[in-house]
Amino acid sequence: MAFSLGFHIIFAAIGMTMPLLMSTAHYLYLKKKDPVYLELTQMWMKGVAILFAVGAVSGTVLSFELGLLWPGFMQSAGPIIGMPFSWEGTAFFLEAVAIGLFLYGWKRMRPWVHWCTGLLVGVSGFVSGIFVVAANGWMNAPAGFDWVGGAARNINPVRAMFNRAWPHESLHMQLGALSAVGCAVGGIHAWLYLRGRAPALNLKALRIAMIFGAAASIVQPFVGHYAGERVAELQPAKLAAIEGLFTSGRRVPLTVGGLPDVETRTVKWGVEIPGLLSLLAHRDLNSEVVGLDRFPRQDWPPVLIVHVAFQIMVAIGSVLALLGVLYFWFARRGTFPRWLLWALVGCAPLGMFAIEAGWVVTEVGRQPWIIYGIVRTRDAVTPVPGMVYHFYLFLGLYLALAAATVWLLRRQILAVQQKFGG
Amino acid sequence: MIDLLILFIGAALLLYVLLGGSDFGAGIIELLPAGNLREAQKEVINRAMGPVWEANHMWLILIVVILFMGFPTIFTTLMISLHLPMLALLVGIVVRGSAFTFRHYDAIQEEKSQRVYTWLFGLSSLWTACWLGIIAASLNRGIIDPAARGIWAAWFAPWWGLYPLAVGAFVACIYAFLASIYLVGETEVPELKRRFVRLAAWFNGLVVVTGGLVFAASMTERTSLPAAFLRAPLNLAVMALATLLFVVLWFFLAKRRTMLTRIVASGQVTLILMGWYVLYAPNALITAQGPLSFYDQAAPPATLRQLVLALLIGSLFIFPSLIYLFRIFKLSGGKQAKAAGGPGPLGS
Repeated sequence: MAFSLGFHIIFAAIGMTMPLLMSTAHYLYLKKKDPVYLELTQMWMKGVAILFAVGAVSGTVLSFELGLLWPGFMQSAGPIIGMPFSWEGTAFFLEAVAIGLFLYGWKRMRPWVHWCTGLLVGVSGFVSGIFVVAANGWMNAPAGFDWVGGAARNINPVRAMFNRAWPHESLHMQLGALSAVGCAVGGIHAWLYLRGRAPALNLKALRIAMIFGAAASIVQPFVGHYAGERVAELQPAKLAAIEGLFTSGRRVPLTVGGLPDVETRTVKWGVEIPGLLSLLAHRDLNSEVVGLDRFPRQDWPPVLIVHVAFQIMVAIGSVLALLGVLYFWFARRGTFPRWLLWALVGCAPLGMFAIEAGWVVTEVGRQPWIIYGIVRTRDAVTPVPGMVYHFYLFLGLYLALAAATVWLLRRQILAVQQKFGG
Repeated sequence: MIDLLILFIGAALLLYVLLGGSDFGAGIIELLPAGNLREAQKEVINRAMGPVWEANHMWLILIVVILFMGFPTIFTTLMISLHLPMLALLVGIVVRGSAFTFRHYDAIQEEKSQRVYTWLFGLSSLWTACWLGIIAASLNRGIIDPAARGIWAAWFAPWWGLYPLAVGAFVACIYAFLASIYLVGETEVPELKRRFVRLAAWFNGLVVVTGGLVFAASMTERTSLPAAFLRAPLNLAVMALATLLFVVLWFFLAKRRTMLTRIVASGQVTLILMGWYVLYAPNALITAQGPLSFYDQAAPPATLRQLVLALLIGSLFIFPSLIYLFRIFKLSGGKQAKAAGGPGPLGS
């Protein structure tokens, strides 16, 4: 399950962002009538088609897996948190209709109507992403029910959906998708441009992708900070694990890097910045930050994993934000120095790692709970024996699918190169 | 509220079988030898399925969402007891969808890779259709046992047997039959048209044969189908009507009335499916401990209200856009494609 989600999150991120890039290129084509933009739209469209199909089938697997692997969880959670799923399903349905119209509708609809269907793919994809994060938000900040003797009573699905973790999680996730995919696509086109392949096309592609990628990367740290404040309030144990904070206190330093050691309750090789964590978490240097010592040992998340994943995410986020600022600086002057383009190439895959790291932070940081403070993960897993085989089956399937997708996208790029005589 | 949801599940199931089913059938047809018509057939299927298969697939997801939000106990019982068939189904869905899309969008179209995609697409279509039938047959056998702990009782017994196998074959034949009928109207090439008519005849025969097998195999079950149907004369009449409609179907087919043949064939499948669904409704499952009814297993009213609201509002968006999709690509598909001068700018 974790693996399926880890796989799906990447495809979903690409599936939400690529149609937006595609629509932008399509819009520019319709406005400026420059055939290069048409070429670009159709090139991205093929990528969207492949990724949407893979995203759709991996999403289907997930909807089944919820029940296949976590029947205990779904039995109590379904009625409470099914609502965002039903809305997500609706949005997804619209997206599937829209993508059918867009892909095959080139000569059958008036151009602007056709453009709208393309935009609808992006918008409904984006909306469905926002909905589905609500379910994860609820696992972190359960709401909308009373837990009485091991069962949910007084279920209120509306309050469950509008849980307190939803706003910051979905904002952070959607921006992360824009930033990671924008920079990744920008990086690929920067590389093709540097290799001298179809420079006009690739430069235009790069600009479109980076408008989204760079802007989202610059906003993301602020949203990330807001998310951190919310986590400090809603899930102090997660925050403590993120920061490797073993002892509560006032004027707590922020530990950058380092490896937390649970046995000695210290962080090795970290750099401490005095008082900063107190300031960041509660906007007050003298505020108290709750450490892991306030929680029974069995309720600790795996501190090492969470802390390291968080450092990776923040480090990448900072690099991408810097890159975003540099990009806009040079975009204003109209030319890009080669070193910046090479930096874009180098940073292309980073955003994806950041998404995965961020997902590890929120998921592993919630352990040992599946519904924070209410149901433990081990109580929710399926009673069916032999789950290992299930894991291997889907591991194999997804690896094969991922390999096939990468292979196909490579062939797309190769085909474009051949076309332009690279 | 619950009646409305039962209606929604029935409708989604029907649309999934009618629309999604013919997509599966197209895959099964591609498995059969086609001689020098192979490429032309592939083109027709790509053009007919391409715009709509993802939307057609959504009906299944809709059913899953309704079940797990509205009827969590039924959902979990299904997922635990039919774990293996569900896995098989999922693998099939993944392979099928990807193979079909990859075949169409692979930037480098070459003989070898195309053959692999086609083969994977066809095989997984057949595979998934069979498992769908097996799952449908397992729902009401009275063998599903949520309390079972042994490997055999928990994993295999609920779906093992002649009857589920026969239903699996039956479903695959129905899908291929539907696809043949639909495809007749999707091509203007006379040889291909003749081929699809011939396939429709073949699969028509197979539907009758496997349908008979289903009834025969059900004699080995705790409640045989003939016994169940005799207790519900209306359902029996519906099934008989479905069978009799074959005569009407062949009349229209001989006259090449494309739209009418499609309507009759869909009508037949609708009758069969609804005859089956209503035979057991409002029971979703019959377990070893007795039936699990939609009425008894529903989520709290607050949840159901939200679910119905979501479905109704969703329908407001989905149905118009779906109708638009089908209007653009289906009803006048052949004519418009010609008017537009053949393939789109992709050269697809």
